[in-house]
Amino acid sequence: MKRGHQDILHGGGGWYAVAPEMERGKRKTTMGAAEEGGDVDELLAALGYKVRSSEMADVAHKLEQLEMAMVSSAATNDDALLSHLASDTVHYNPSDLITWVDNILSELNAPPPPLPTPQSLPSADAYDLEPLPALPAPATPLVLGSDPQSEVAPSPRDRKRMKVCSSPPSSSTTTDAATSAAAALPVVVVDSQEAGIRLVHALLAGAEAVQQDNLKAADALVKQISLLATSQGGAMRKVAGYFAEALARRIYRPQPRGGVGCCSFDSVAFDDMLHMHFYESCPFLKFAHFTANQAILEAFAGCRRVHVVDFGMRQGMQWPALLQALALRPGGPPSFRLTGIGPPQPDNSDALQEVGWKLAQLAESIRVDFRYRGFVAASLADLEPYMLLDQDADGGGGGKDEEPEVVAVNSVFELHRLLARPGALEKVLGTVRAVRPRIVTVVEQEANHNGGTFQERFTEALHYYSTMFDSLEGGAAAAGADDGGPDQALSEMYLGRQICNVVACEGAERTERHETLAQWRGRMDRAGFEPVPIGSNAFKQASMLLALFAGGDGYRVEEKDGCLTLGWHTRPLIATSAWRVAAPAEDPLSALAAR
Amino acid sequence: MYNKTPGWLPRFASATAEGSMLPEEVGEEEGEEEEEGRKGRRRTGFSINDNVDLLAEILGRLDGRSLGVAGCVCRLWSAVGRKDSVWEAVCHRHAAGGGGATRSVVAALGGYRRLYRLCIGPALDRLAGSDGAGLSLSLSLSLSLFSIDCYERLGGRQQQQQQSASLLFLCKPVDVS
Repeated sequence: MKRGHQDILHGGGGWYAVAPEMERGKRKTTMGAAEEGGDVDELLAALGYKVRSSEMADVAHKLEQLEMAMVSSAATNDDALLSHLASDTVHYNPSDLITWVDNILSELNAPPPPLPTPQSLPSADAYDLEPLPALPAPATPLVLGSDPQSEVAPSPRDRKRMKVCSSPPSSSTTTDAATSAAAALPVVVVDSQEAGIRLVHALLAGAEAVQQDNLKAADALVKQISLLATSQGGAMRKVAGYFAEALARRIYRPQPRGGVGCCSFDSVAFDDMLHMHFYESCPFLKFAHFTANQAILEAFAGCRRVHVVDFGMRQGMQWPALLQALALRPGGPPSFRLTGIGPPQPDNSDALQEVGWKLAQLAESIRVDFRYRGFVAASLADLEPYMLLDQDADGGGGGKDEEPEVVAVNSVFELHRLLARPGALEKVLGTVRAVRPRIVTVVEQEANHNGGTFQERFTEALHYYSTMFDSLEGGAAAAGADDGGPDQALSEMYLGRQICNVVACEGAERTERHETLAQWRGRMDRAGFEPVPIGSNAFKQASMLLALFAGGDGYRVEEKDGCLTLGWHTRPLIATSAWRVAAPAEDPLSALAAR
Repeated sequence: MYNKTPGWLPRFASATAEGSMLPEEVGEEEGEEEEEGRKGRRRTGFSINDNVDLLAEILGRLDGRSLGVAGCVCRLWSAVGRKDSVWEAVCHRHAAGGGGATRSVVAALGGYRRLYRLCIGPALDRLAGSDGAGLSLSLSLSLSLFSIDCYERLGGRQQQQQQSASLLFLCKPVDVS
C-alpha cells in the first residue's frame, strides 16, 4: 500500500474503479488503520461507497441534513417523502455517495435547516491532505497518543457512520439532530480514530501554511484543529490544544515585542512553581538529578575539598541527595562548597539565598562542612571565571596549604537556552574550561528543536511533546485516575509553555532550542571537552528509581555510548552526559580563540 | 505498666520465649490471673515483657507491617516498637547497604522509623506490586529520597512549615479494582 501513497496524493481528482475496492478493503483490515490513502476514503470503499476524503465532512453534513428532513417529515406525518424515497432512490447510484445525497436533498425541495456552513472547510479542503510531502519518519505512521479505537475492525461500522464520539459537544447524534439544529457544529466527526489522523494532518498542514506565510489558510486550519481536538481524548487532545494555541500566537503576533515571552504569566515564581510540580509528578527531573549526582559523586572520590557550580539553582532539589551521599561515603564527607546561579527575581526576594540557607541547615544536621554562594545572572554568558573560582575571605593565606578544590559543573536543561544568542554557548563553555572542572554534567532534552525550517521543527516538536504527554498520562493512569489532578495539569502547563516557545517565538526570544545528544557531543568536542562514561551504578539507581514510579512500566532507561537516556517506550526523551576537559594538545585558550 | 497487660498475653509471650507450654499450666495460669487480677505474679515461665531488650530484638526481626501491628498490642510493645533501633534493624533487613556513619545521618534526617514509613515501605509495596524484575531496593536510593523529603520540610528563614510533596509519587494509591 505504501507504493500507492504518493500516487494517490498526486493523482488529483478521479474516482477509483469499483473492482479493486474489495481487494483494497481486505488489505485495509490487515494493515491497521493509521495509514490513510489519498483521495478515496478506504474504509468506506471497503463497504462499497466512494467518497473523497476531502469531502467526508461535507458528506456527513449533508447526510445529517437528510436525516433531519426525514425525521421532521415523519414528525409531521408526511409519508410522501418516505414513500418517495423508498421507490425512487434506486435510480441513483448510492456508491457515489455525495451525488446521491445531493440529489435526494434537492429533490426534497425542502430548505435544509439553517446550519451554519463551515467557512473553514472549503479553504481547508485544498490543504487537507496535500501537504504531506513533508511528512517525516517515512514508513511508520504517526503514532500519536494512545488511540483507544485502534483495535476496531471495520465490521462493527454502521451504515450511519455518524457515531457519537467521546467528547459530547462536537458531534450530534441522529436523534438529537432535529432538536439541536441550531447548536450543531459544522464538522461532524465521523470516527474518533479518523479524526485523530485528520487532526495530525491538520496540524502539519497548519505548520506548512505558516511556513509558506499563507496566514489565512493557517488561521482556518487552526480553527479546524481546535474542533478536531475536542473529539480526541487524553494526551492527544491536550497536545493538539497547545500546538494550536502556539500556532495561533504565531499567526497573530509575528512581531516580537521586546522582552515579552509567549506566555501570559512571565513571573519567575510561577515558572518555579510549575517546575516543582513537574518535578513531583514525573520522573524526568529526578532521573536527571540522580544520574548527575552519581557522576559527580564518583568524580569526587577521594577529594577533600569539593566545589559544585549549579547553572540552574531554582529550588535546589538536586543537592540534598548529593550531600547525603557525600556524608555517607567511605572516608567521610569532604568540605563542600556550592555556587548557585539563578535568574533575577522581579520582586526583589532573594530566592537564591533562601535555598542556600535551607541547604546549609540540612548540611549542618548531617555534619557536612558547607559553604554557599548565590549568583544572580540574567544569562549564563554573563558569568566570568573569577566569579566561580575559589576566593578565600581570609585573603588566601591559609588556603595555599590546603588541597586545591575539585570543581564540578552541573547544568540541567540550561545550556540549550544559550543557543538563542550567537556566541553565548562558546563563551560559557570557555568559562567552564577556565575553571578546570573535574567533571561537567549536562542534562538536555533529546530532540532537535533547533534545526532546519519551521515545519521541520514543528513536526519534530509534535512527536516529542506527544510522547511526553503520553508519559504523563501513563503515569497518572497507573497511579489511579483521580490523582492525575493538579500535578499533572501543571506539568502539562509547564510543557505547554515550552511548546509555545518552540512554535511561536523566533530569534532571541526562542530559548527552547533543544538539540540531540549527538549534536551536543559535537559542540562539547569542539569546545575542548571529552566524554566521561557514566558508570553502571548510575544506571542501576536510575532503573530502581523508575521501578518505583507508578507508571514505571512505560519508562525506559538506556545507555548510549556512556550517556544515559530516559525515554517513554521506544523514544528517548532526556539524556544525561558527563564531560571533562580534554587533555590539551595545544594551548586551550588560543585553540578556542582560533575556532 | 507491666500490670496492665491483658490476661492472654503472658501465655502468648511465654509460649514464644519457651516453646510450647503444657496445657495444664496454661489453664492454671489463666485461672490465677482471673482470680488475682492485676497482681502480675507469675509462678511459671518467663514473660517477655520483663526483658525489654529481648523484646526489641525479637520485634526487630519482623517486617514493617507486622511491626506496626505489634505496636498496637499494648503500651509496652508500642513504646518498644517505636524505638529507632528496632526500625533500624528492619530497614537494614529490607534495603541493602549502609555503613557505620549511616545511623547518625539517618537520625539527623528524621530517623529510621520515618525512613521506613516514607521511603522503604512504600517502595517495597510498589516493587511487590509490579514485577520488580529482581531489583532489590538499595538503602542509598531510599536515603536520597529521604534526604529530599527532609529538605523540603525545612522552613526558610521565615520558618514556615513546608508541605513536602517529593515523595508523593511513592504514596499514590494503586488502583486495586
